[in-house]
Amino acid sequence: MKFHVELVWKHGDEREVSSIFLTPDGRIILQGRAVPREQREALSLPLEGDMVSVDRDLIQAIKDML
Amino acid sequence: MFLKNHWYVAGYDHEITQRPLGRIILGQPVVFYRLQDGTPVALEDRCAHRHLPLSMGKLIGDSLQCHYHGLRYDRNGVCVRVPGQDLIPRSARVKSYPVVERYRWLWIWMGDPAVADPDKIPDYHWFADPNWGAKGEYLHVEANWQLIVDNLLDLTHLAFVHETTIGNAALVDQAMVKVQRSHDSVTVTRWIIDAPAPPTFVKAGRFTANVDRWQVIDFAPPAFLRLDVGATPTGTGAPQGKRVDGIEMWNLNAITPETESTSHYFWGQAHNWDVENPSTTDMLIEQIRTAFLEDVAVFEAQQRNLELIPNPPQTDINADSGVIAARRILDRLHQEEKAAAKMVAAE
Repeated sequence: MKFHVELVWKHGDEREVSSIFLTPDGRIILQGRAVPREQREALSLPLEGDMVSVDRDLIQAIKDML
Repeated sequence: MFLKNHWYVAGYDHEITQRPLGRIILGQPVVFYRLQDGTPVALEDRCAHRHLPLSMGKLIGDSLQCHYHGLRYDRNGVCVRVPGQDLIPRSARVKSYPVVERYRWLWIWMGDPAVADPDKIPDYHWFADPNWGAKGEYLHVEANWQLIVDNLLDLTHLAFVHETTIGNAALVDQAMVKVQRSHDSVTVTRWIIDAPAPPTFVKAGRFTANVDRWQVIDFAPPAFLRLDVGATPTGTGAPQGKRVDGIEMWNLNAITPETESTSHYFWGQAHNWDVENPSTTDMLIEQIRTAFLEDVAVFEAQQRNLELIPNPPQTDINADSGVIAARRILDRLHQEEKAAAKMVAAE
């Protein structure tokens, strides 16, 4: 295990949104769901490369915590 | 710059007596004393006549008499007697501040008295709860209050500043730290699962096998930090919120700015075992005081550098995430207070 930091934005007492991970190699990794090919086609999104769908509140976390 | 519309700890309840006590809070001189019925009072520590600190005076009944020319003030800061004349000038008054006694501390509100709500005093019940052994201490620190807040939100300095007391290198190299930010709070959490208990924990908790340990730092603005630390036998459910057969401690901190470069640091320790044995409390306090004095040496050296080189650029690292989150909250509160003051001035 290496040192890492998980950042979480919390709404009120209960709701936690997905996390941001700061890793020791300097990367910032966001937690989200992969966007499957059929969704990309339906939404006219690019088919190449990895795509991740994130909670809208994660953007708040990025703005306030990074 | 200070956040004014917040409660701050002004002192321990036993410090406030019928002998006036002068203390600087948020850069303002304040005098504290008790009325004959025990009610605590806080007034501006400056006679309206020739500015001598009223804390140099004495109580005559429930009136505070200035040591210089004998003007007397009531609990509201209104002058009620001027020696040698019957007419009391209307300008002969000083500010009074709302105060509340709670958790063995005296709390003061330095901002707008109209919004001083005692329900907003943060929870420090451990000091007054018979289920806990607890004791409070005080340190005067020659450093800005935010340096102390930064330090308490940062677990990784333990490996270096407290190398010979409470730290170890694993705190930095192998830690997983979770920082939760909400609108007005920051929580920094670290779990150590299925690891040997440190010697002090073995002694206190009589553990015979590995434990699950936690360190949870809770920050509430402007400068309240409550550290929840403990251990239970591995696998008994502490990470899920079930704490059985273990030990728990709270390290309780409240920092009150004295000036921009000095602070009143009120802190204490509570423990849930051996609660009626003061020597256990004293032993814990002694250990933590040793570590805190190592921190104070750091704050004061930082402050000296910051006075030589004001507002220098600084580098942030991953471990600063909790500190940065707290500073963002404080920045927002400063902006809000500034905007509110502007509106009042415009009216």
